[in-house]
Amino acid sequence: MTPNLKVSIAGVEFATPIMTASGCCGYGEELAAIFPMSKLGALVTKSVTLNPREGHPPPRTAETASGMLNAIGLANVGVDRFITEKIPFLEKQKTKVIVNVAGSKLEEYVEVCSRLNDIERVDMIELNISCPNVNEGGMEFGSDPAMTEKSVAAVKKVFSRPLIAKLSPNVTSITTIAQAAQQGGADAFSVINSLVGTSIDTDTWRPRLTNNKGGLTGPAIKPVALAMVNAVYEKCSLPIIGIGGIATAEDVVEFMLCGATAVQVGTSLFVRPDAPVIIADGLKEYLRKKKLSSACELIGKVRKY
Amino acid sequence: MIKPTCEDTFLIKKRDLKNNYFSMVFKTYSRVDQCQPGHFVHVHIPSTDIFFRRAMSVAGVLVESGEIEVIFKVVGRGTRLLSMLHPGDRVNFLGPLGVSFKLPKKSEKAIMVAGGVGFPPLFYMATEMVRRGYDPKNIEFFYGGRSVSDILERTRIKKLGVTFHPVTEDGSYGEKGLVTGPVERYIKSGDKAKMRLYGCGPDGMLRAVNELGLRLGVPGQLSLEAPMPCGVGICLGCVVPLVKGGYARVCQDGPVFEIGEVAL
Repeated sequence: MTPNLKVSIAGVEFATPIMTASGCCGYGEELAAIFPMSKLGALVTKSVTLNPREGHPPPRTAETASGMLNAIGLANVGVDRFITEKIPFLEKQKTKVIVNVAGSKLEEYVEVCSRLNDIERVDMIELNISCPNVNEGGMEFGSDPAMTEKSVAAVKKVFSRPLIAKLSPNVTSITTIAQAAQQGGADAFSVINSLVGTSIDTDTWRPRLTNNKGGLTGPAIKPVALAMVNAVYEKCSLPIIGIGGIATAEDVVEFMLCGATAVQVGTSLFVRPDAPVIIADGLKEYLRKKKLSSACELIGKVRKY
Repeated sequence: MIKPTCEDTFLIKKRDLKNNYFSMVFKTYSRVDQCQPGHFVHVHIPSTDIFFRRAMSVAGVLVESGEIEVIFKVVGRGTRLLSMLHPGDRVNFLGPLGVSFKLPKKSEKAIMVAGGVGFPPLFYMATEMVRRGYDPKNIEFFYGGRSVSDILERTRIKKLGVTFHPVTEDGSYGEKGLVTGPVERYIKSGDKAKMRLYGCGPDGMLRAVNELGLRLGVPGQLSLEAPMPCGVGICLGCVVPLVKGGYARVCQDGPVFEIGEVAL
């Protein structure tokens, strides 16, 4: 029997639990040239802001041990061009579409989400209240519980479909923030965004990124992400999408055992752009070996000491 | 748009070109027939020492046997690891990627300006033009380096029948000085309306070639290099500023750009 990879989050069904992570797949056009989008559970777009953003000057990325630092600076086409130029392409793709929304002011989040509410192709919104690479907004919305609750509640009023709060690991207590987002009306969590880090060129004594610091991602952050997914799973009742260094089917299994219902593959796409396909095949094989009929049987089943 | 593939390939031939330069020929890459001069492949070297792939411009292909050649200089951990591979070793190729050079009309002069390790894509272009029946006498191959050891594959260049203009800063081979000096002289001595300028090399040389093209009114293209995590346009990590404002991705919008397009 072929194991069932289908999962469901806040009433939305996904063909597999493997999604792309925001900022690592553009708006899907480039990856669609490499594998069919129907192989994905969902495509999570690059962050969309109210106005277009050019992003930070280069260099914007640096290689680290088992990962990368990035400070792209939320470069994106803005919500208007996203709707006119990117949605027509996304309309044709046989996968769920989750739009990541970022902003520097609460009104900006509300305005963007309100416009996206009219676009049926947008199955869910992922609220980026945790980006470490912008000077205004971003992480500050997701590092204060009151602000988190307020932001989520404000967006919930204008967006009628499910809302995912993407949580930052750069806080004292991620569970406190998760509880605040749940209180505000979030339907799910993405756990985690990147960790703040930096890297210095020892020849020039300058940081390797023009933003001086950036977000650390990739396999290097997987243990941190797993611990945080499990902490949120134990304290909150909402479904979790796990993110952080996922490169193999075994990584997905770990995240699901810790409480994730689905996962997002990010930095690994840069090393293997067809990683989601390979990982989904590997997950099926794993379930077959373990004689499990569905991926859902893994969720939260970690056997703790 | 070319559909890139991600597939394993193996090294069949390796040559140490001295002074940290290497030539490597890989086998069984199915998209070899889609490669054009200016394209690059993104190479994954299995190792825990590096995380990303490394972009390698294609130096030549043999479509019939499915072979692809890259020439590179060891500059960091990635290229060091690549240089340590032996025939039979496997790597993973993603490609072909990027925008290729626009070949000139057969009646036009192609002025190629290569600097140091900027040699491979222009060598591939010259080879391809000769293969397609261009008159080699219409290819002026300027090649600059610090010294004679930076001027690679001299016999192969000469074999193409192109006009070869080696230039070294220390005068150890060819004309002494910077490569852009003789290029400027050459352009000024001929019919600029029938010339196309192509450059690939270090930043300073690219800036000078760009300036020459703009000042003397010779259109053409430059191939840029940048560290690139993804190679397919999704990470936005390899951007360069454009003259008209905003940024372009070297991997997907380039690496080949028009002269005057990029703020170098």
